Amino acid sequence: MSDTPSPDIEIDSRGAACPGPLMDLIGKVKDVESGTVIELLTSDEGSKNDVPEWLEEAGHELLSIEEEGDYWAIYIETT
Amino acid sequence: MTGYAVVLASGELERVQAVSMISSIAASSDTPVQVFVTMNGLSAFEKDRVENGDFQVAGPAGEAMLQGSGDEVPLFTEQLERAKGIGPLEVYACEMVMDLMGTDLDDYVDVFDDTLGVAGFLNRAADKQVLFV
Repeated sequence: MSDTPSPDIEIDSRGAACPGPLMDLIGKVKDVESGTVIELLTSDEGSKNDVPEWLEEAGHELLSIEEEGDYWAIYIETT
Repeated sequence: MTGYAVVLASGELERVQAVSMISSIAASSDTPVQVFVTMNGLSAFEKDRVENGDFQVAGPAGEAMLQGSGDEVPLFTEQLERAKGIGPLEVYACEMVMDLMGTDLDDYVDVFDDTLGVAGFLNRAADKQVLFV
């Protein structure tokens, strides 16, 4: 897709079940400056749905979620 | 809301895992969480039991977790350990049960901040939402 955001950081959480990918993301979000674009890879469908819920509460921006066959790429920009 | 005070009174793997997941995500998101592990809950934290994966399970979800089929679910001990490094999570062991069982903190995996009695727990829980598991 032409509008895929270009990430500054990639987190590969494929193979981890809920809440592993979310924990990976939270740990990273706390370490980076605002405006950082993160690409989170997850094969866990629950996380695909739960990560946006967390982002909404934490106030970070969900840029897009892209299905890549047997996993998803979730793009986030920190605020 | 000033956080959650969780009472973990069961040693069933399903309940222990659920407590660790919810507590870990809340604390990692800067919501203070105190977990008070009491009654049979403490048995799940015994060093030998954790080492051998010898957990009490209640049903199919617990069995699936023990068998490790599907995506990898991190064990509650690792999860709590990790979350404590990220956010405000404290885990306490019940003094009364330890007296009853003749154990001390060295008998359990290293996730406990301290031991605690009922009055101590109630003090910490006073401004929090209590979850009893």
